[in-house]
Amino acid sequence: MELDLDESSMAIGRIERALSRIEKALTARANRPTVAVAAPAADQSALKAEVAAVIGELDRLIAEADRG
Amino acid sequence: MADVKLTIAGRPYDLHCADGQESHLLQLAAVVDEKAREMPGGTEVRQLLVAALMLADAAQEAKGKIERSEPQSDSLRAAVALAESREAAARDELGAALKELETMRRAPAPSFSPSNNRALLQIAERIETLAAKVEQLP
Repeated sequence: MELDLDESSMAIGRIERALSRIEKALTARANRPTVAVAAPAADQSALKAEVAAVIGELDRLIAEADRG
Repeated sequence: MADVKLTIAGRPYDLHCADGQESHLLQLAAVVDEKAREMPGGTEVRQLLVAALMLADAAQEAKGKIERSEPQSDSLRAAVALAESREAAARDELGAALKELETMRRAPAPSFSPSNNRALLQIAERIETLAAKVEQLP
């Protein structure tokens, strides 16, 4: 399915809302008095890798948009 | 030339003036006559003297009023000039803004390439998944 401008805006809105959810979850986690159970190391690595991959993909898109 | 008969302080005078100026001359004579009659009982010369003095006084007062109002007129003129220059500047800015708006209106709408759109959608989905994972962190 090809997106038009409005659908692109909706995708950006989804990204903004998801980032807001992440920020909220991380803030709540940091404000907790103690972390009862730490996430397994493998899960944490996978999460970090996914974050790095998404950031890389965003960088690529931004660079492409800058080139017009 | 026109012949005009005037009567001032009871004495008739025959005068000449430019054609068309008769009524103006009669009007001036009426003013002098009125002033002369404000000093009844005196000699004709004295009546004319008083009339001349009163008219000179009125002329001097009028001149003073004009001189006193000149600075005010200057500031009004300056204010008008300032307002006019501001109006011109605002008109120029409005014109430029309208021109820019027209250029923007004529410009083609930005288009996203299909591959970028797909990538954007995929990123949205990946970040949503990340958000769900972060929310489930212990």
